[in-house]
Amino acid sequence: MYEKNPLSPHLQIYGWQISSLLSITHRIVGVINAVAITLICFFVISLFFGEENFQFLKSILQSFVGKFLIVALCWSFSFHALNEIRHLIWDFGYGYDLKTSRITGVITIIGSFVLAISIYLIGKNYI
Amino acid sequence: MVQFNLPENSKILKGEYHKDKTNSKNIKKVNVYRWNPSDGKNPRIDTFEVDMDNCGPKVLDILFKIKNEIDPSLTFRRSCAHGVCGSCAMNIDGVNTLSCIKSHTDIKGELNIYPLPHLKVIKDLIGDLSGLYKQYESIQPWLKTKQTGEEKQELLQTPQDRAKLDGHYECILCACCSTSCPSYWWNGDKYLGPAVLLQAYRWINDSRDDERKERLKKVADELKLYRCHTIMNCTNSCPKGLNPAKAIGSIKKMLATG
Repeated sequence: MYEKNPLSPHLQIYGWQISSLLSITHRIVGVINAVAITLICFFVISLFFGEENFQFLKSILQSFVGKFLIVALCWSFSFHALNEIRHLIWDFGYGYDLKTSRITGVITIIGSFVLAISIYLIGKNYI
Repeated sequence: MVQFNLPENSKILKGEYHKDKTNSKNIKKVNVYRWNPSDGKNPRIDTFEVDMDNCGPKVLDILFKIKNEIDPSLTFRRSCAHGVCGSCAMNIDGVNTLSCIKSHTDIKGELNIYPLPHLKVIKDLIGDLSGLYKQYESIQPWLKTKQTGEEKQELLQTPQDRAKLDGHYECILCACCSTSCPSYWWNGDKYLGPAVLLQAYRWINDSRDDERKERLKKVADELKLYRCHTIMNCTNSCPKGLNPAKAIGSIKKMLATG
């Protein structure tokens, strides 16, 4: 009897909230960051094997897609860092109130864009 | 294992359309999840046109109106009708809540009513909560004390210690929080879920209880407790305004700080 009972809909119908949206974004961005860091390591290692590698990667990163990737990674690192701070505050036992967590969530979203743009601009102009 | 799609027998079909017969000008379309265990078909969404000029303010009033005037076979749980018993918990407009305290005037457009998410459906809006009750039993939600009863002495508690239970004892176990939690959807057989962990915290925190350490040890488990990733759907959905996420966070903090 139990086998034929249907499962009630879940992900399909449940309303998204800021908190759940940030949580899933945090996970996805975390995976992207791990892959990105690995690739950056390979990039650095490849520099040991000659100038051509550097020229090749430079040409990729200076293309439009490359620039987009750089900005996107600036954002994904900023978002992950800021949301991780939020998690850290939770682990200390603060900020669980509905209102507070919503405010910190919005700050994280806005802050991640501000931080991403400033990292990109600082990197572009001063390094 | 995480399965995002619904199994084959749970795919939702389009159901019947019940047109309004009262010629009312103030009509609300109400979409309700239906499943009849005896006809062997997949679940479906029935749409009812409800005359809002002659209907009470709560979602439960709409359900009663449909049951009384349009389709008597509509099945749902309810008992007290003012947010004390927790029987009428369901998914309304995308969020779990009690239909008896949820006002339908807050909801613009069509009203969608589903049973609590990721449960085996028994009929229409009734989900099977036996798993949750078993987990509730597993945390032994009763006072455990060294007193044998021979002492003939009551267990005293200071007002300060009593105040520690505020925000936890009010839980009515309606399961809105647990069934809103994605972690509980994917690992409901092992992860205890917000409702049960809130109760676990209530007993850990009770100054009259003598088994605080044992209780903490029992709940400290990769799957039972740490599947909580602070998604906060639980706190967002609690119709009594409690904060299960905070209770789970407090248990984690207790375990980390000793």
